[in-house]
Amino acid sequence: MSDAQFDAALDLLRRLNPTTLQENLNNLIELQPNLAQDLLSSVDVPLSTQKDSADSNREYLCCDYNRDIDSFRSPWSNTYYPELSPKDLQDSPFPSAPLRKLEILANDSFDVYRDLYYEGGISSVYLWDLNEEDFNGHDFAGVVLFKKNQSDHSNWDSIHVFEVTTSPSSPDSFNYRVTTTIILHLDKTKTDENSHMMLSGNLTRQTEKDIAIDMSRPLDVIFTSHVANLGSLIEDIESQMRNLLETVYFEKTRDIFHQTKNAAIASSAEEANKDAQAEVIRGLQSL
Amino acid sequence: MSSSKFEEVINKIINDSPPGELREVYDDLIKITSENSKNTILDAIENYNVQNCIPIEVNGNSVIISKYNKEGAKFFDPVNSVIFSVNHLERKGLDIEPYEFTHAKIEKGQLKELHDKLHEYLLQSFPGDVSFAVYPVPEEISKISIIIVSTKYNPNNFWNGHWRSSYIYDLETRELSGQISTQVHYYEDGNVSFQSGKDINQSNVDDVVCTIRDIETNFENDLDLSFFDLNEKQFKALRRRLPVTRSKINWGSAIGSYRLGKNAAEGK
Repeated sequence: MSDAQFDAALDLLRRLNPTTLQENLNNLIELQPNLAQDLLSSVDVPLSTQKDSADSNREYLCCDYNRDIDSFRSPWSNTYYPELSPKDLQDSPFPSAPLRKLEILANDSFDVYRDLYYEGGISSVYLWDLNEEDFNGHDFAGVVLFKKNQSDHSNWDSIHVFEVTTSPSSPDSFNYRVTTTIILHLDKTKTDENSHMMLSGNLTRQTEKDIAIDMSRPLDVIFTSHVANLGSLIEDIESQMRNLLETVYFEKTRDIFHQTKNAAIASSAEEANKDAQAEVIRGLQSL
Repeated sequence: MSSSKFEEVINKIINDSPPGELREVYDDLIKITSENSKNTILDAIENYNVQNCIPIEVNGNSVIISKYNKEGAKFFDPVNSVIFSVNHLERKGLDIEPYEFTHAKIEKGQLKELHDKLHEYLLQSFPGDVSFAVYPVPEEISKISIIIVSTKYNPNNFWNGHWRSSYIYDLETRELSGQISTQVHYYEDGNVSFQSGKDINQSNVDDVVCTIRDIETNFENDLDLSFFDLNEKQFKALRRRLPVTRSKINWGSAIGSYRLGKNAAEGK
C-alpha cells in the first residue's frame, strides 16, 4: 500500500453514494486488500448495536474501537459479545483498572447527556490507555458514540474520537483533541409509491482545546474534571454540527437543486424587467 | 480476484458516482488498482454515460447520448445531422461525420416546432447548463423519446447538481411515461447526497411540452415542501437543539441530579 492509494481510496469514499458506504468500503478492500487495516480504522460507518446479557440485555454501540476479532466489548459489563474463548480473551484489549473507572464515569455522564438531547437512542463511551504503565490521570484516548433512529426513515450516528494529552509546556494543562463525524440519513416516508426523496451522508470536523486541571487533587476529582471538560467540549461541537447539518441538508442542497431547476426564474425575469422599466420611468420623472 | 468479480466491483463503483465526478473517480481507481484496469473502467463509464443520458460536446454543441440515438458503436444527432464516436472520459465527440436522419412519424417542421417549444420552456425553468433531445424509439415508430438534462457543476466549492427527466411519448395513444431523477452532491468536509425522483404516467396528452412543464413544476413544488417536512418533523425529532431545560448541561459531579429530577418527575 502507498499513501497515494490510501488518499485515492479516501477521495473515492468522499465521492461515492454515501448510503452504500459499507458496500463501497468492502469493494475497495477487495480491489486493494493492503488498504484494509488503514481504511477500517479511519472510515466511520453507521454504528451497529449489540445486547449485553450481563446487564439485562441493555444495548450498546459497536465500532472498530471496541472490537476484538468479531466481538465487541460492552461498556456496561466490560464483557465481549459474542463471548470470546478464554484463550482469545488473554489477548483482548481492556482499559487498565483506573481507566476503566473513568470509563464507567464517562458512560454514566454521557448517558445523562444522551437522555437530555436525544430523548432516546443509545450512547457508549470507550477509553484506551496511551501509556504502558497504569493510568494515573494523564494521557488517554477514547471514543464517545451516540445513535438515534426513528423507524427506518431517519438515523443519526455521532462518533467523537478523542485524545487527551498533557501539554508539554505546563504539566497541569491538557490538550483535548476531538475528531467528530456525524452520519445523518433521512428519507421521506412514502406517501406516493412513484416518488422518493432522500438526504444522506456525513460531515466531519476537528476541534482542539487546552484546559488546565488541578493535578494535586485526588484521582476521582481529576476524573470528574476530565469528563466535565470532554462533556462540555462535545456538547459544543454537537451543537455546532447540528446547525451545520441543518444548513447543509436543508438549505445548501435545496439551493443547489434550484440552480439546476427553478420554475421561478421565468417570473423573476419578468419582475427584473418590470423593475428596469420602473427605474426608467422614475428616471424620466425626475428630469 | 476473478476478472468477472473485478468487473462487477468496478461497475458498482462507477454506478455509485455522481455525474459530475467521473473523471476524479477514474483517476482514483487507476491509482488504487493500476493502468491495467483502464479498459474495464472505461467500459463501465461508457455504460454509465449512455444509461444516464450524459451530454457530450460535439463540435461545440451539447448532445445527449442514450440508447435511443445509438447506432452501432456511434451516436447520431438528428438536429445537427451528424454521427460521432465518443471519448467517454472527456465527454467529447470524435470522428464526426454527416448523417441524415428522418423520424418515421414526425415531419421536419413538426419536429422543429417541438424543439422550439421545449427550448422556450427550458429557458424559463432551468438555470443550469441545459441539454435536451427528441429521439426516435427504435422498432416503435409511433413513439418518441424526450430527454432533458440540466447540470451545475462547481467542484471548486465542492458541490455538483444534476437534473434529468426522460419521457416516452406515444404519438398515437397520446400517452406520456417517464422518470424525473435529480441529485445533488455536497462534499466539503464530508459527503452529503440528496436524491429524489418520480415515475410519470399520464394519458390523453395533447400538448406534450405543456404537460411536461406542469409535471415538472409540481415535482419541484412538492420537493420544496418535502425539504421543509424532513427538517421540521424527522430532523428535529432526532436531536434537540437544547435540553428541555433550555440551557446547556451543568457537567461535573452533580450531573446525576438530572436523572434524579427526571425520576422524581416520573414518580420513580
